[in-house]
Amino acid sequence: MKATSARPIAALLSVVALAACSSKGGDPNRQYGPDPYLPPPRAYLMPPMSVPKAVGWKAGETPTAAAGLKVEALATGLEHPRTLYTLPNGDILVVETNGPGTEPFRPKDFIAGKVKARAGAGAKGGNRITLLRGVDGDGKPALRTVFIDHLYSPYGIVLVGDTLYVADTDAILAFNYDPGATRITSPGVKLADLPAGRLDHHWTKSMTASADGSKLYVGVGSNSNITENGMDVEDGRAAIYEIDRLTGAKRIFASGTRNPTGVAFEPQTHQLFAVVNERDEIGPDLVPDYLTSIRPGGFYGWPYSYWGSHVDVRVHPQRPDLVAQAIKPDYGLSSHVAPLSLLFSEGEHLSPDFAKGAFISEHGSWDRSPLNGYQVIFVSFTDGRPVGKPVPVVTGFLGEDNETVHGRPVGLALDRSGALLVADDVGNTVWRVSATQPGS
Amino acid sequence: MTRQDEQMRGSIGHGRQRPLLHRRVLAAGAALLIAAFVTDCTYYTTALWQWANFSAWLITAGLIVTAVAAVLLLIDSATGRTSRLNTISFNLVAAAALLSLVNAFVHSRDAWASVVPQGILLSALSAILLLIAGARGWSLAMSRATGDDK
Repeated sequence: MKATSARPIAALLSVVALAACSSKGGDPNRQYGPDPYLPPPRAYLMPPMSVPKAVGWKAGETPTAAAGLKVEALATGLEHPRTLYTLPNGDILVVETNGPGTEPFRPKDFIAGKVKARAGAGAKGGNRITLLRGVDGDGKPALRTVFIDHLYSPYGIVLVGDTLYVADTDAILAFNYDPGATRITSPGVKLADLPAGRLDHHWTKSMTASADGSKLYVGVGSNSNITENGMDVEDGRAAIYEIDRLTGAKRIFASGTRNPTGVAFEPQTHQLFAVVNERDEIGPDLVPDYLTSIRPGGFYGWPYSYWGSHVDVRVHPQRPDLVAQAIKPDYGLSSHVAPLSLLFSEGEHLSPDFAKGAFISEHGSWDRSPLNGYQVIFVSFTDGRPVGKPVPVVTGFLGEDNETVHGRPVGLALDRSGALLVADDVGNTVWRVSATQPGS
Repeated sequence: MTRQDEQMRGSIGHGRQRPLLHRRVLAAGAALLIAAFVTDCTYYTTALWQWANFSAWLITAGLIVTAVAAVLLLIDSATGRTSRLNTISFNLVAAAALLSLVNAFVHSRDAWASVVPQGILLSALSAILLLIAGARGWSLAMSRATGDDK
């Protein structure tokens, strides 16, 4: 009897000891750039969480912009705005959307649902695209209409010629676009199916088009954190697809990208880049989310390894052959910041500091303490490669107490005057960030 | 009246109609927790996620049913059905419940790490403890009426 009761106590102590270790995240500065600090992975009884309470913005409150920039609300009262897109005529499209919602699979899913609701991520999306017209200068939009309605968790959007492509979570739809139109009522024509299904864990389908418009590129996220929903539901996921715009033929362009939430071409080199959300629950400083150039046929590690060949023991069976091929990403953004949008700058409109490089919105963590992200940053580029440390452009989404969150930045776009637009899916607002003194 | 007489009377009349409430419910909860060890073993050999999913639900349900049994044990005691604690059985079940509570958290991890190695070890230990308690008759306290643990 003594022997059998001593063993469980020893096992119990070993597990409790694991949980008792310090679980505070370190300085994010150590994880910016090409060679981030990577602590050893950890296992938790209860992964460290810090969930700020979503409170929205009071009248007159706004995020804070970097020196020389000002912020104003362009549109408020939206239904979970996520993606922004500026059309050639200056109209702005706002994709109001959220995930299709899934049933809980495991006991922990009930808790995860409560956490999401507290952080303001559980709100229903509008499943529609709103058009804002007459937004140049400092004024409010002269016109605001529902442009396309009854979509299915739309996310990516891109105009090629006179065809507007919308990436619903399960398919790319093509709509005839007329610059004068204020509403499209004809149903979209399906160009290609996208991986969705009943679970659809990472549901966003980010999208961009090649410079010549012949190909579309779509980021498809994994169906789990780290294959806990089985390998069969990961078929064709955690990948970036290349889709032929005329035929709809698609192929996997790159894989192993856990959740590629933003894809964009670097304007100087026409190289495809992506921001990728990495895995959770192995520590507050693992794994850094990243910005990387995407090589055709490249494999970026998920699920078997991270940041190159760092093996994730939660995946079974392992694939050493794939781990050996895993590409190290170009640029770490630090851990759990949740980069959701990638937008390349188009000159000095905003500031000479932001002339050449990429704006990245960081939706923000809840599985890390202290909190990380909740800002829009700028990463400078030289010769088509990210360099230096990120610079904060728009901050103040978090309350000063670090316990409440007013907003969370998601979609980014530049309007025709070069101002930066930021969609905020907790504040349900589109913010416009412009130079205090135009032309300076 | 001697103590023996009292026991005799109880065993003939009153006590027989007042069985311990917690026993059957505890047996049901323990069955779920023991089953989690079986599904953990199957996950260990197949790596098919649904078996780990079964384990997580079995442990959660097993803990809820065992908690109900604990409440019923208190009722058994409050309503005078019990005389004294069956210390060995009680400790076996209490240890198994504690291990299973930790195990519920271990099983909330993702993929392989939810079971191997700590999850399946905790499932095995709690199954062993519960099987011993089961062999001892599932009673965590002696019945006041009969003085035995039925």
